[in-house]
Amino acid sequence: MIQHMELAGGKVTRNGDTAGNVRVYVNPDENERRYLTQTLKLDEHTLASALDPDELARLEFEPEHVAIIFKRPKNYSSEDKFVFKMASTGLFLFPDKLVIVLSEDVPLFQGKQFARVSSLQDLVLRMIYGSISHFVEHLKVINAISDSLEEQIAASMQNKYLLNLFSLEKSLVYYLNAINSNAKLIERLKLGAAKIGFTAENLEFIDDLIIENGQCYEQAEIYSNILASMMDARVSIVSNNLNWLMKTLTTITIAIMLPTLVVSIFSMNVEFPGKAHPWMFWLILGLAILSVASVRLVWRWKRW
Amino acid sequence: MARRSATRRVIVTHPPGIHARPSLAIVKTVREFRSKVLIRSGDQEVDASEILQVMSLGAPHGAELSLTAEGPDADSVLEALGRLFADNFGLSPP
Repeated sequence: MIQHMELAGGKVTRNGDTAGNVRVYVNPDENERRYLTQTLKLDEHTLASALDPDELARLEFEPEHVAIIFKRPKNYSSEDKFVFKMASTGLFLFPDKLVIVLSEDVPLFQGKQFARVSSLQDLVLRMIYGSISHFVEHLKVINAISDSLEEQIAASMQNKYLLNLFSLEKSLVYYLNAINSNAKLIERLKLGAAKIGFTAENLEFIDDLIIENGQCYEQAEIYSNILASMMDARVSIVSNNLNWLMKTLTTITIAIMLPTLVVSIFSMNVEFPGKAHPWMFWLILGLAILSVASVRLVWRWKRW
Repeated sequence: MARRSATRRVIVTHPPGIHARPSLAIVKTVREFRSKVLIRSGDQEVDASEILQVMSLGAPHGAELSLTAEGPDADSVLEALGRLFADNFGLSPP
């Protein structure tokens, strides 16, 4: 699917069916791929990389364009089961147009950073900035989910919350890898600034990107370390909660077992002294209640 | 202060639906107020101050949600949530 857009007056707007200077290819079909590789001369491998979620960010200089692959977080859906996934986006910067290739239809030019775009080069940098902001927002979400799961774990005896935390931990490792990969891309963009045609203003923005991405990486690293280091403690809490439940069940079992023993002894089909006594029923009942009380007393005395 | 209850219907106009970031925006907004807010989508009803529950809704684009608030500032929290939904959580053009 192709979306034609136009960068004019500092804004990117939809251009209907007329080809603009910004073209977005969402999961291109065979014909579109042929057009991209044969007419626009995109490298087949680089095009495949733009659609491969496992591909690392990179920068390639081709004779007619610059190919930029960067990582961005995928929008989370309830079926993802706390695994935050990654996607790649391909930006192919020509002197007169920008071709964007991505695997899914997502709102691309969202946020205030796209309010005033000066050039196609500027748009490339702002899209990378958008990806960094997306990572930061997802890190906040991961932190909020982690807090919520911890509250659940405090009273839980199930593994499911621990497994959810493991999923979050795994997501953070992937995020760290992706953010690090974006960092290397931004460094390379700075080194190849002259070839790409970045202005002094763009270079200043790249410096900001390096700082923002670095902070994002540090934040992800802190969250990842916290999750990893506290995991043993959380496993112990769940185990301890289960022990408490077992203890309560054992108490109940013993409290029921002793009066049952008393009543069973007197239920034996043999003669015993005082069997016909009118108070015998109440005596047996009293002994049964006394046995329960004795269990309770021993329990308190031993501070179990 | 008198407790009151209010209900409001909203439609998810954000193209990807309610995913991670919109869920956090909803939870943050609700926690700014004292009222308890429930979100109903079909048969499912969740506490809007719990991110795990809001994310479990998985409300897609176009879904109609019913927001019920109960507490001293029920109207204000629904007003704020209404603005948030109308603004597509600040993530895409309304």
